[in-house]
Amino acid sequence: MTEKIRTIIVEDEELARKLLKSFLSEAENIELIAECENGFEGVKTINELKPDLIFLDIQMPKITGFEMLELLDHKPHIIFATAYDQYALKAFEYNASDYLLKPYSKERLLEAIEKVAERISIEGPDSDMAEKVSDYPRDEYLDRIVVKDRHKIHIIPVDQVRYIESMDDYVMIYTHEGRHMKQKTMKYLEGALDPKNFVRIHRSYIVKVEEINEIQQYEKESYIVILHDKTKLKVSKTGYKNLKDILNF
Amino acid sequence: MDFKHPFISSPRLGVYYILVWLAILTGSVLLKWLAYGFNPGIAVAEGLAFPFTFAIIGSAIWYVIKYSSLENHTPARVLISHIIAATIIVFIWLYIGVVLIKLLHPFAEQWIDNNLAINIFGGYMFYLTYVIFFYAVSYYQGFKEKLKNEGKLKSLVKEAELHALKSQINPHFLFNSLNSISSLTMTDPAKAQEMVINLSSLMRYSLKHDQIDKVPFSEELNNNKLYLQIEKVRFGKKLNPVFDIDENCLDTLIPNMILQPLYENAIKYGVYEATEPIEIVTRSTCIKDVLEITITNNYDPNSMSKRGEGIGLRNIRDRLQIIYGNPMLMKVEDNKKEFKVTLAIPQK
Repeated sequence: MTEKIRTIIVEDEELARKLLKSFLSEAENIELIAECENGFEGVKTINELKPDLIFLDIQMPKITGFEMLELLDHKPHIIFATAYDQYALKAFEYNASDYLLKPYSKERLLEAIEKVAERISIEGPDSDMAEKVSDYPRDEYLDRIVVKDRHKIHIIPVDQVRYIESMDDYVMIYTHEGRHMKQKTMKYLEGALDPKNFVRIHRSYIVKVEEINEIQQYEKESYIVILHDKTKLKVSKTGYKNLKDILNF
Repeated sequence: MDFKHPFISSPRLGVYYILVWLAILTGSVLLKWLAYGFNPGIAVAEGLAFPFTFAIIGSAIWYVIKYSSLENHTPARVLISHIIAATIIVFIWLYIGVVLIKLLHPFAEQWIDNNLAINIFGGYMFYLTYVIFFYAVSYYQGFKEKLKNEGKLKSLVKEAELHALKSQINPHFLFNSLNSISSLTMTDPAKAQEMVINLSSLMRYSLKHDQIDKVPFSEELNNNKLYLQIEKVRFGKKLNPVFDIDENCLDTLIPNMILQPLYENAIKYGVYEATEPIEIVTRSTCIKDVLEITITNNYDPNSMSKRGEGIGLRNIRDRLQIIYGNPMLMKVEDNKKEFKVTLAIPQK
């Protein structure tokens, strides 16, 4: 191989970074171009430098490794490196190339790099992790949603979400403070939000139950939901059934 | 303390009580009727008026002994309250009895002249019997309660030990520590060795203290210093433990492994989520037979981790409740910038 794999490490612990760096220095096909201490730095650096490969820890301050991946415009190949084994399944849903359990050996690491090199030679440098993620069922509901607009990352607690509107490939998340766009499908969010608190009322809307002030009939068999701030949202037939189920009327 | 009347909390005792009184009533009626040739109607009336009404009024004596217990009051005060209560109860009893006699007894006036004085004496005697009976019941209840608490304490200590053991060998702690050691073997072998030794000491400590209820504060403190030292290697300047310990406190006794969950929380909610240094400050003072320990950590107010009284804190509160009988010995304060837990450990 002539071209080296441009690599970034995203890891919050200094000793873990040092170890990885020293192992990587022995892999001839790796060129380490940056190190990041947390997910915020990771998003910025990865979008800027567009690496071929990232090494990613999962539990980090601010945002987790998975949340960071959702914010990337550039999709590199991923090797996870973590002490937890319970995220392995989820990691492969993100199309991870490998999943290293700390502490790992140099041999194990080089093997992982081998795999990635092979994948790059077949698929090219861009990983296709992008949309595969969205439709997978989750084992627990979201308690926050991470979004990025221009250069800033926002962490929105799910309790602050009022409603969500679909906009083609994106969704618009309305909170009490404003609104944020995110590249996710309605189907994904419907599955990822706690159904005790959120209800799908229409193809285009998911509403937080406690935001609903009134359900009004405006024609025979068609309804609208009026939120506490007077926002009016259309309700579909299925949506009306969902509302009936959750509100018991 | 439990003020609930024993006849309500254990109905069986109430049934026995009624049966005993019915037996006394039946016995006295039969005696008067058969042995002394009383008119059976009169015998029943006399029995119902005196002493049977005491069966009802007397059960209230329970509350007198509960409100003036020997544990909480001086003997003189207890004696005075009993004399007052006895007089009131005997007076009420006599009054109701006299009313009933007047209603039911054909020779009421004569009966009253003959029997009132002896019944006053009898009333006080009944009172005395009841007091002895209820004290016995009360002590028996206390004894049973204590046995129950001891059992519960044992299982809680077991749970705390398990938890401490688990948190010290949980994936996050153990595997990350081992990864740090793996890294240090290349850059700083001496430090790697030190960390292996610290990790071993910590695990040995948590295995050793299986059954001991209380340990010297110094021992518990050293164990937790080890824990923080190991985490310090991982987190570097992000973790900054500070100790401000009054030397006089070191020999005081403290329930085994009661502090470890507090440090674990401080790391989980403070250090894990932070990008800036987090200080974990431990202070201790001992004033008047109480060892007071506060553990404070600052945290990033923007971090989103949910925080409530989790299992760790609840377990500590339960243990303090059972060991010292007071759930208020732990105080938790959170001003959105700092999290502070204060423990007050009585030394008796």
